[in-house]
Formats: sequence, structure tokens, C-alpha cells
Amino acid sequence: MMAALFKVMAQLVLLLLLAPLVSGFIKTAKARLQMRRGPGVLQPYRDLHKLLRKGMVIPNTASWLFSATPYVVFLATLLAGLMVPMVAADTPVGLVGGVLAVVYLLGLGRFFLALGGLDAGSSFGGLGSSREMTIAALAEPTLMLAVFTVAIGAGSTNLSQMVAAAIGEQWRFLAPSQVLAFAALFLVLIAETGRIPVDNPATHLELTMIHEAMILEYSGPYLALIEWAASIKQLLLMALLINVFWPFGLPAGWSAGGVAAGAGWLAVKLAVLSAGVVLVETTNAKLRLFRVPELMAVAFTLGALALASTFLF
Amino acid sequence: MRSVVEELKQEYGERLRAEPGYPDQLVVSVAIDDVPAVAATLREWHGARLVTVFAEDRVAPEGAFYNYYVFERAGDPCYLVVRGRIPAEDPRFPSLASTLPAVNWEEREIQDWFGIEAEGHPNPRRVALHDHWPDVHPLRKDFSLNTVLPPFEGERHVYRPTLGEGVFQIPVGPVHAGIIEPGHFNFAVAGEPILYLQLRMFYKHKGIEKLFEGMPAARGVYLAESVSGDSAFSHGTGFCQAVEKASGLEVPFRAQVMRTILLELERIYNHVADIGAIAMDVGFVIANAHAARVREMLLALNEELTGSRLLRGMVCIGGVRRDWAGGPGKALGQTLETVEREFRDLVQLIQSSDSTRDRLERTGILRPEKAAALGIVGVGGRASGVDRDVRRDHPYAAYGNLTWRIPVYSEGDVQRRMQVRIDEVRESFGMIRDAAANLPAGEHRTPARPMEPGRCALSAVEGWRGEILYWLRAGAAGRLERCKVKDPSLNNWPALVEAVEGNIIADFPAINKSFNLSYSGTDR
Repeated sequence: MMAALFKVMAQLVLLLLLAPLVSGFIKTAKARLQMRRGPGVLQPYRDLHKLLRKGMVIPNTASWLFSATPYVVFLATLLAGLMVPMVAADTPVGLVGGVLAVVYLLGLGRFFLALGGLDAGSSFGGLGSSREMTIAALAEPTLMLAVFTVAIGAGSTNLSQMVAAAIGEQWRFLAPSQVLAFAALFLVLIAETGRIPVDNPATHLELTMIHEAMILEYSGPYLALIEWAASIKQLLLMALLINVFWPFGLPAGWSAGGVAAGAGWLAVKLAVLSAGVVLVETTNAKLRLFRVPELMAVAFTLGALALASTFLF
Repeated sequence: MRSVVEELKQEYGERLRAEPGYPDQLVVSVAIDDVPAVAATLREWHGARLVTVFAEDRVAPEGAFYNYYVFERAGDPCYLVVRGRIPAEDPRFPSLASTLPAVNWEEREIQDWFGIEAEGHPNPRRVALHDHWPDVHPLRKDFSLNTVLPPFEGERHVYRPTLGEGVFQIPVGPVHAGIIEPGHFNFAVAGEPILYLQLRMFYKHKGIEKLFEGMPAARGVYLAESVSGDSAFSHGTGFCQAVEKASGLEVPFRAQVMRTILLELERIYNHVADIGAIAMDVGFVIANAHAARVREMLLALNEELTGSRLLRGMVCIGGVRRDWAGGPGKALGQTLETVEREFRDLVQLIQSSDSTRDRLERTGILRPEKAAALGIVGVGGRASGVDRDVRRDHPYAAYGNLTWRIPVYSEGDVQRRMQVRIDEVRESFGMIRDAAANLPAGEHRTPARPMEPGRCALSAVEGWRGEILYWLRAGAAGRLERCKVKDPSLNNWPALVEAVEGNIIADFPAINKSFNLSYSGTDR
């Protein structure tokens, strides 16, 4: 019992503290590639600290949904984070359905965010919500397909078992089905975290925003919760990608030495994956909005092919 | 234009009188009621284009207002100014806006600022003074500059309603998220596609034309430089040329060449910034980073040549304020060489990005026939088949001695507006090099002398955005009686409205940036 509680606490702290750092790392790396100094990797912490101390402006037209959304999003994302292996294959929480629960907890967060965007009553919120849902309608099934590909190999949708199976076959990520699934999941990662070419996280142009447009009316601690949840979601998806496809160095259980090694490997692999994201963001222009579904359709096809090829090879 | 005036004389006889002008600016007066017919003759028979229309209050000395209609035609360096007399007791003029949409805003400005009614205007609502302003006419001479208006209580602007299922309005501005000037954009959208866009400008109206009145000409230069900060040198030059014309001042050739070099430097630094900004707005951030770097080199060069990064305080009446000992120095040649190389890389970077091209091509199309009808000028015009460039059409400074190619495209999309900028920057490199190599010796300025009171003069400059026009009347003691400023942005805002129709709203920022119009220059 104590051990379980310890695992939960440890992973909670890891999620809460590491997530902003990953965002900061990506931001700084992007700035460096553009020959800017950038705000420094610790900036997201400073932003959260600042936002948490600020007052809030809540639209007169907003209902309870507007206030409930930040908590729902934050808690749902955090709970999903506890179900994904981070530094050990064994996850602190294993709800029924395993990876399906993760997908739907993220879906719940998105659903509330879209409602919150609509609830504020500004036209930008509605614009953002409708765009987010358009993209989610394709990103979500893609995520499922890619995950199923791996689940079939492992014979389980429980993430601990999926990762444990992956540890047993270190080089499996080179199999065609796994490569395709990885590609599909990478595109989902780009879309879900609102990065170029799908969305531009650094833009000030309200009219082009997707994620940012939805949360335009949020301020202060509410905004902090949503931003924090967004970076946790990013970390969670990255961890999913890393640990399912590149499980080397990941211990099966929570032993002191194993976890330390797992954390070290996680850091290295996160840096590599972040660098990939940074490269994609720097070398591409943002897609025309109506082209985004095309990109997601490509991701979906990749996912479908991945699933099909598990039965072929 | 001389032959045109002769023909008009035959047609109108006594009713049309020639006024004192200049070899390259003819002036005729007619009764205001004859203006529509004269304008129609000029347009239909002589292919002339109405460049601008503005008014002047001469009630105290002459008991009348005047409307001025400036015409030009292709291949003719001479302007024709048609002056229409409007009796003070009956302040109204026949509107041309229904046949010439290009003067829509300018006629309404006259209504707002002078209280002269534009009869038959299809949309005679307020434009320059917002709807809730009280009934005042600031450009009338009896309106004191020190007037303090009571707090505004009138009704605010009512936008055209948006009806239909799934159709809704998105109001944007006047305060924007980025560091840009204020302007209100009211979009009617059906989902993502834009049905129409309503613009509301003049949030930055500063009364510049009023401020000019009574100002000594030499001080007016600074005011002209601040009409639109990124075109400081073009606006300053436009103003100085008008004053020089009115005072019969011959500017030394050396100064003319120096002005030419600086005008082109202004064009380059702004075009480079715009090219980066367009890439930025489609999310190709790295190109913007490079463009910003190149722009910085150019600004440093500006500072070295003029003491001001944005070329302020350099142009003066009679020439330029600072000489370059010997020549523009090594700085110009060396920087230009580096910038040219860097610019080539920047263009290659942008052109090698398929995703950028995909965003820019066929986005925000302004059809050539629309551009011609709306009188679009400058970069936006040349991308839509409007082959017009003041530098060639009405040569000033040293442009008569230079040769260059004027890029004209007919597709009219964002990609072509960017391409016009790219081509112009390349041409400008050559022009600067030519001018610098042939920089003549001599004086860099002649002492100014007072303008002859009552004398009027017109001057035009091709700023980097397009055609800038200054018209002034000299007052007593070297002061200005009236000074009209026309920034190209005023012509081109309607182009944006046309270009965004049917595009998706997420593409608006890129389309807007491809025109990059000046709010300050429009609002004055």
C-alpha cells in the first residue's frame, strides 16, 4: 500500500515538475535555431508562478462550465499521466482499459476545453473549439489505431504490459508495423500539442490560432492550470511514444537503481524526441487550415497500415 | 496633357480657365457642376486616372471652397489638376464615387473635414471622423486648432448586419494582440470562409493636415516624416519637393542622387522586413529570423549614412542635411554586397520551402480588373497587373537617369505580392550601385528661400508602399496655408477587402501582411 502510494506521489511530482521543463527546452531550442537567445528553459515555471499569483477576469456570460474546465482538464490529464510508464514499465495507476482510459481521459479534457471556449461567448473561443474538434476527430482515432498496433503485439491494452512486452523485444521498433505506428503517433503528438505545421504555439495572430483561441478568455490561475495541463499532456504523449517504441534502459519495476537509470534514459530520449519536434517546427511553415485534416488523414492511414501489417509480418 | 487641356478648352470655352501651374503640372478651374463631365471626358477619351481628390477652404479670401481633382495618364509625366469652385453658401459637390470607387473614402473625408456634402455618394456615412463625433469640420479655417470638444455622446458606428444560419461576425481590433497599429476589422464568416470584411480606420487620426496649416515650411519636414514612420524619408522627400517647387528652388544634382539612394534604401529595408513578416505569418519562422538580421544590417547602414536608423532628419528643403565626404563611403558598397548575398540566400530559403509556397500561392487573390477599378497603387497594384510607378511615370530626384525593370504580375495573390517585393529589392541594389558610382560632386543643399505666397505645388514620390502625394499652398512669411497628404495606404485598404473574400479566416493575417498598409498614413 505504502509502495503504491509512493509510486503515485513520485510520478505526480515528476509529471508536474518535468512537463514545464520539456516545453521550455523546446522553446529555447527553437529560439537557438532562429539565432535568438530565447527566454531560457525555466521560463514556463516562471510563467506558471506568475499566472498563479494573478487575478482573473471571467466573462459575464460564462457559466459554471468556464470555471470547471481548468480543473477537469488538469485533473484528467494528470490522471492520464499516472497511467503512462515514465521511469519504469510498471505504472502507478492502472485503470480498466489501460491505454484506452488514457485516450479517453485526454478526450475528456479536450471536450471540456472546447466547451469552455464556447462558454466564454467570444467568437474566437467558438472558432478555436470548432477547429480543435475538427482536428481531434482525426487525431483521436489515429492514436487508437497506433496504440492497437502495439497492443496486439503485446496481447494487452494495459500499458505496463505493453511496455514490458516491448522491453522483451528491444529491436521490435524496427518492424514495419512499429515504424508506421511510430510515424502515426508522432503526427498525433504534433497535432495534439498544437505545434507547427498544425498550429503555431508562438503566434500572436488570433485568427490563425487553434488551441490558443480556445483559451483566449482564460487568465490567472485558470490559465496556469490549462497551460500546465497542456505541457503535461505533451510530456505524457512523448513518454508514451518513447517507452512504447524505444524501451531500452527502462526498468520493469520501481527499484531505486532502476528508476534512476530509467529517469536518465527518459531525459536523453525526451531530448532526442524534442529535437525532432523542434526540427519539424523550424523547417516547416504552418499548413493551411483546410490542409490539416489531410495531414491527419495521412496519420490515420499510417495508423491503419500499421494495424494491418501486424497481421502480415 | 497640354493637348488635353486644349481640347477641354474647346469643349468648355469660357467655363474652363487655365491657372498658373508648372511645366509638369497643369491647373484648370471649372465650376463644380462641370467636374463629373470633365472627369468622364478625361477618363474615357484620354485614358486618364483620377489620382486623388481633396478640398481647400478659401472662404475668407475668396468666398468659396475648392475641390482639387488630380489626373495623370500613362506615358505622360505631366499631372493635370482640375479645380472645382464650390460657393461657400452652398457647400456641396457632385460625387464621383458611384462610377469611381477609388475616391470613395476621399470624398467622404471631404464631407467629414470640410462639411461639404458629396451629393449622390452611394455610402455617405462618416469615415474620417467616427460616427459619434459631434458635427464639427476641423479642416475649415474657422475651426481653431485649440478647440476642445465635449465628451462624445453620439451613436457609434453600426455595422452591416450578418444574417443567415451558421453565419456569424468576428470583430477584431482596434486593439490587436501583436504590436501593430489600431484598426477595426469586422468579419462576416460562414464557418471558416470569409463572406465579407468591413473596415473601420482612422483610430489614429492626428489632424496632420490641420497641423501643417500655419507651420513654417522648414518645420513641416519633421511633421511629414512622421505621417508614416516606416516611410519617413519618402514622405519627407515628397513634402520637400512640393516646397521646393513652390519656392522655385533648384536642388543640386548631388542632393538629388543622394535622395535617390536613400529612397531606395528605405524601400529595401522595408521590403526585406515584409518578406520576413509574410513568411512569419504562415509560420515559417526561420525565414523571418534571417530577414530580421538582414534588415538590421540595413538599419545600421542607414545610421551610418544619415545618423538615423529610420532615415529621419536627413532630407531638408533644398537638398539633404548631411553630406557624405567624398562619396557614400565604403560602408555602402560593403554592406550592400553582404546584404545582397544574404538576401539571395533568404529568397532561396523561402523558395525552397514547399509548405510556404503552398500557403502563399492562390491566397488572397486581387483580380486585375478589381485592382484597376479601385485605383490600387504600389506593390499591391503591380502584383495585380497595375503597371504604375511614380519613379518612371513622373520622374523625380535622379530617377530620370536610372534604368530598372518594374515587376508586374497579373495573378494578384500573396505569392506575387511577395515576388514584387523580391524583384524590387534586386532592382534597387542595382539602382543604388549605379547612383553611388555616378555621385556627382557639388553642393548637397542650397539655402531655402521663402515660397511665393499663394503659390500651389504638387509633388509625388513612389514610397515603398506606392504613390505618395503632397499638395500645398504657400501662405505668408514662408508658412503653409494648406497641405494635403495622400499615403498609398488610403488607396489600398479596399484592395484588402476584395482580396480576402472567399478566403478562410486563418489566412487573413498573411493576406493583410502581404499588403502591409500603414494605419498612421491612412488616418493622418
